[in-house]
Amino acid sequence: MGRWWPRGLRPRLLAGFALVTVLGSLAATWAITESAGEALVASNQRRISETVSGQIGAVTHEVSHPPDQAALDRVRDSVGPDTLVVFEDLRSVDGARADLITDELREAVREGDRVVTQRVVDVDRPWLLVGAPVMITDPDGERAPSGIEVYTVRDLSAVQEEVDALVRAAAAAGAAVLVLAALLALVTARGVLRPVRELRDTARRLAAGDLDARTEPQGVDELAELTVTINEMAESVQGSMATMERMRADARRFAADVSHELRTPLSTLTAVTEVLAASTEDMAQDARESAGMAITETRRLVRMVEDLMEVSRFDAGSVRLREEEVDMVSAVRDTLRARNRLDRVELHAPQEVPVRVDRRRLDVIVANLVGNALRHGEPPVRVGVFADRTHVNLVVTDNGPGLAEHVVPHVFDRFFKADSARTRTPGSGLGLAIALENARLHDGDLTAGNGDDGGARFVLRLPRAPGQTAPGRERGIQE
Amino acid sequence: MRTGLSSPSVWALVFLVAVAGCGVGPSGVFDAGEAPTGVAPGTTLYFVDDNDELRPQFRRTERLGTVSDAVSLLLTGPGDSEVRTEIAPTSVTSVEVTTHPETIELRVPLDIDDVTPVGIDQIVCTARTSHVQNGGSERTRIRIRFVQFTPESEIRRTCPLYE
Repeated sequence: MGRWWPRGLRPRLLAGFALVTVLGSLAATWAITESAGEALVASNQRRISETVSGQIGAVTHEVSHPPDQAALDRVRDSVGPDTLVVFEDLRSVDGARADLITDELREAVREGDRVVTQRVVDVDRPWLLVGAPVMITDPDGERAPSGIEVYTVRDLSAVQEEVDALVRAAAAAGAAVLVLAALLALVTARGVLRPVRELRDTARRLAAGDLDARTEPQGVDELAELTVTINEMAESVQGSMATMERMRADARRFAADVSHELRTPLSTLTAVTEVLAASTEDMAQDARESAGMAITETRRLVRMVEDLMEVSRFDAGSVRLREEEVDMVSAVRDTLRARNRLDRVELHAPQEVPVRVDRRRLDVIVANLVGNALRHGEPPVRVGVFADRTHVNLVVTDNGPGLAEHVVPHVFDRFFKADSARTRTPGSGLGLAIALENARLHDGDLTAGNGDDGGARFVLRLPRAPGQTAPGRERGIQE
Repeated sequence: MRTGLSSPSVWALVFLVAVAGCGVGPSGVFDAGEAPTGVAPGTTLYFVDDNDELRPQFRRTERLGTVSDAVSLLLTGPGDSEVRTEIAPTSVTSVEVTTHPETIELRVPLDIDDVTPVGIDQIVCTARTSHVQNGGSERTRIRIRFVQFTPESEIRRTCPLYE
């Protein structure tokens, strides 16, 4: 549609109603003025020509034949001003408007034996020209022209005014109807728009996640049908969502339960392996190797279960932030020192970057990122800390082959393995996922990519003051 | 779309043209009814000839005159001519004429005894012819009212020459 056509339903209805009304009143006005105006003009013309005929007929019996000038003057006087009476070479004329008489009319009078009329417009006023031949009737009733011709000019502006008044009245009525039509259009638009608006609000609430949103259908029209359909759709979506939510909750609970149940036997197992570890010196070479493998795998199992439980806590939304003022640089250095990584990692950092974080969770993030880099990349592993006005960035890069393009979107997935052949890695497969959850818990973000020199590059970005949200707030899916 | 009837001004123009077109404009020449009549060089009177038949006699009076003029002239007699009148001479010749939709009523200064039936026809034909020449209808009937009461006064007559 062109730009002149209004887009809203209300203006469109208004425009439509107005258009129909204007067309209707135009048609009515045209029809009325055309027929009534014509009738008015015709009846006036008939009246005028009959009057003129009568005025002439009233004096003809006194007119001598052949007439002299005085006789013509007498006829002219009887008809009134602006009159011309002609007989052969004699003329009797009065009034300047007699000039309006056309040759066409005189021709018609000379050649015919009936009264003729013609309308002309002079100086914006309509005039009626009446031409009448005076007849001689013989005793048999036969008529023949006497040679006397009478022409007169009559003003039609009174008729014009009547027609104008008619048009004005019709136009006024049309305008009044236009106002009525506009009101009617507004009322109709209201009736249509109100349910549409309600439906729109409901759809918005549904889109915003309020699956309880419904609209009460009113009436039995198409809009009511649409409302019912939308309600049914919302009902079905709500049902599916609830089922899905229940299934996810079940799965999460199962994982949590499993890891929880594993913990007790695992602690026993750990205690046993500790004892085993203490007594390996007395064993034979091959037995010692087996014991060492058991001890390593047990520790890995313990770490995996701990990570699983951490993930379950995130899923359950029962994770709490304990924020405190921390110097980012020294916190990172502490983490590296605690894991004996200071000698294998280059730390590039300014003197001090104060930031408000949960110290333990920052430690988990840094340890996971650095551990990941050391495990999968090549040295040297670099850790850089930069601060801008609003955020603190921690960048971990290594010198390895970098991340393959298809890997990048999945590095934070749980149990994701970039190389499916390498099934046995020391990590739990949950480290990066937990790091990302922790970063998000701080309103921050963790992204993976490749550096300019080709190595993998992980960037942790934390707001300097996440305190807009209260510490200890809960996060996760609402249940 | 932009080239269509796009703005209110166009609609206003259409409205104006439609309204202005309904005025009283010039026209061609139209017929407007029967022409007036009544001009004649004289009047026609009816007398009786030797065969006792009605005979029209043209009197050059320069103008046609009214029905009353014609009947009054008839009452003055034929003068010196080969026709005669069947109406008794009277010194009073004034005739009062009343025109009704389908009848002309003549009040003549005569009694029924002053006229023969042919004399009545003379009056009827003269009045009828004058009426027709003045533009009246040929079907108009004539009622002659005499001075004294007589049933003849009630009769609506026609001229036997033009039946």
